[in-house]
Amino acid sequence: MDAFILRNGQLAQEDSPDLTETDLFIESGKLKAIGPQLPAVDGVPEFDVTGRVLLPGLFDVHVHLREPGREDKETIKTGSEAAINGGVTGIVAMPNCTPAIDSGGMVQSVLDIASRDARIPVYTTGCITKGRLGKELANIGGMHARGAVMITDDGDPVGNHQILRRAMEYAREFGLIVASHCEVKELSGVGAMNEGEVSYRLGIPGIPAESEEICISRDIRLAHLTGAHVHIQHVTSGEGMRIIERFKEDGIHVTCEVSPHHLIFNETHIQDYDTHYKMNPPLRRPEDNAILLDGLKRGIFDVIATDHAPHTDFEKQLDFGSAPFGITGLETALPSLYQEFIKPGHFGWDLLVKRYSAEPRRLLGHDPVVFKEGSPVNLTIFHPDKETHFTTSFMQSKSKNTPFLDQHVQGHVEMVVLDDAILLDRLTANAS
Amino acid sequence: MEPRKDLLDIASLNLEEIEFVLKTAGPFKELFRKSIKKVPPLRGKTVLTLFYEPSTRTRSSFEIAAKRVSADVTNFTVGSSSVVKGESVLDTIDTLQAMKCDYIVVRHQAAGVPNMIAKHTKASVVNAGDGFHAHPTQALLDAFTLRETFGDLENKKILIVGDILHSRVARSVGRICEKLGMKIGVLGPGSLIPRHRPAFMRTFSSYDEALDWKPDTIYLLRVQLERQKDQFFPSLNEYHNVYGLTDERFRRIEGEGTWVMHPGPVNRGVELGDAVMNYERTLINQQVENGIAVRMAVLYWLKPQTD
Repeated sequence: MDAFILRNGQLAQEDSPDLTETDLFIESGKLKAIGPQLPAVDGVPEFDVTGRVLLPGLFDVHVHLREPGREDKETIKTGSEAAINGGVTGIVAMPNCTPAIDSGGMVQSVLDIASRDARIPVYTTGCITKGRLGKELANIGGMHARGAVMITDDGDPVGNHQILRRAMEYAREFGLIVASHCEVKELSGVGAMNEGEVSYRLGIPGIPAESEEICISRDIRLAHLTGAHVHIQHVTSGEGMRIIERFKEDGIHVTCEVSPHHLIFNETHIQDYDTHYKMNPPLRRPEDNAILLDGLKRGIFDVIATDHAPHTDFEKQLDFGSAPFGITGLETALPSLYQEFIKPGHFGWDLLVKRYSAEPRRLLGHDPVVFKEGSPVNLTIFHPDKETHFTTSFMQSKSKNTPFLDQHVQGHVEMVVLDDAILLDRLTANAS
Repeated sequence: MEPRKDLLDIASLNLEEIEFVLKTAGPFKELFRKSIKKVPPLRGKTVLTLFYEPSTRTRSSFEIAAKRVSADVTNFTVGSSSVVKGESVLDTIDTLQAMKCDYIVVRHQAAGVPNMIAKHTKASVVNAGDGFHAHPTQALLDAFTLRETFGDLENKKILIVGDILHSRVARSVGRICEKLGMKIGVLGPGSLIPRHRPAFMRTFSSYDEALDWKPDTIYLLRVQLERQKDQFFPSLNEYHNVYGLTDERFRRIEGEGTWVMHPGPVNRGVELGDAVMNYERTLINQQVENGIAVRMAVLYWLKPQTD
């Protein structure tokens, strides 16, 4: 299908809270025409997308693809297919593989696998320190030369302040973003969830929010000292967000992300030791959900990112303390954000497009997706009135560690088109 | 009363269930004075003790209790190393399921493991202590002991002393005492008093202040020696001086007729001085004896879905 026309879609854009009804004429991977009531073209099939939202392909700056090393959990292939299944057309892989992505050669090999196996652009980060051990700088220049888009020891902070300062000074010259997993390890200890009434009741060692907040403050202050661009990953606590907000007001160059699960879930969901709610940094209090949502609406968070973290059933069936941190997110992000926030009116489609498509691309120095005549196609079609049933067979990720497993969530990704490839099509198959 | 399959914690029990166990334990304890201490209710049933954490005392207590209600008992010992690698807890449970046991008494160093097992098996699961989470049979035997000593517990005061933060005993005993209408005070090093403790736990700034509150009984928690290594307090000696029931403090409570409890085993010279061990109002041995009666009552009460 080289050319087709989509009729009566609702176009979502970052600069308008309202959806715009439009037709799209797609030909050879380009938008041939856009506008209401486009004329029919002989021999070009048409599909009615009335009621569907037309989104620019989403972009996720924080995913774990586990390749190389833990291909039992995920591969670049399955992870990128999971992205497509969720309407995401670009992803940034974290470097905490086995071995860690801490050299130019490792970056190259990840990108080589991606170019062979992935149908969407897959970018990779590199480590700040060799082996993510926090002791010696990784080959930052070499990784940059091979295309690493950020450096991060994600999963761990760089504990040594001096090493982090040096890394920031060094990375600054390459224009590399330093992405920070903020945690004071000594304060987290063996903690497995937020420290609070729930952790006391369950008898699970807690991680105080201060563990994250102190590190956020440290990392931004070091960025200020060094002039580096620091990107704070997966902010979970209201106070952590306020710290970032204050530094931003002072004009310090810091960006940050929030994950869907930290917006939607909190420690009270853990209930009966359900490890699908175990991640690091952990789910905080219900009031933090509200503060983070408010921050997202006020523009404190530059991007939404899932921290897609696949783990095997076997590992997640361990006791709560021993099970690994992390939940998957690529496939559930869009429907869950729609169901929890857009449908009830907490924010509009413009916010979603801005924070989960446009800004993530800008963060990497790319142009956001535009819908105008002649531009390349990068499109996700979302049906808001249809449910998605997140069964193991529906999900493309190798791992199924999500609280949405076997749940019905409002909204359904029906089609994903990138350039001249229809990556996912649950629309025309049903139509014909 | 709804039949209950598992005993996982105290928080989820209602008063009726607690009273049932306490009431049932009484006649079982009477048996101990007779030459034949055995009754038949669990004849033909199999009780399996599954201990991932060593505990001779609790395991023996369960074993004797199970035998006195005529169950067959098997002890299953699992090295804790196999938890992390290879066979998971649930794999083990599948194995046990195949052996057709009716009751699984489990102790594990990680909180929530009994909950996980309970969801996975038709056998009744009795939590014999999981991580920092719960130790419900300890709480029930302590409640039984308190009842024996005081009768009505309404507004009686219990002072729990020690590592409140890491103690499953403190969680479960505190909870059952609260359900039975008691007033609960806690005392210990600031680093071991949880920030997010339940509202019913009142705190004191010193032992003297706690004793001024006139507790009816003092409940001493065992000090885990690794807490000192992790710097929760400076030294065992200092712990004894500041939070131990020293001989000097003992003289004060002796004069006031305060009772003393301890879940055992005691660290002499840490939680308490020698003088306390011979005190006529020390309930430590009654706690051990009552433990068997209460565990018999628990096995009698729970209803496995294995039939």
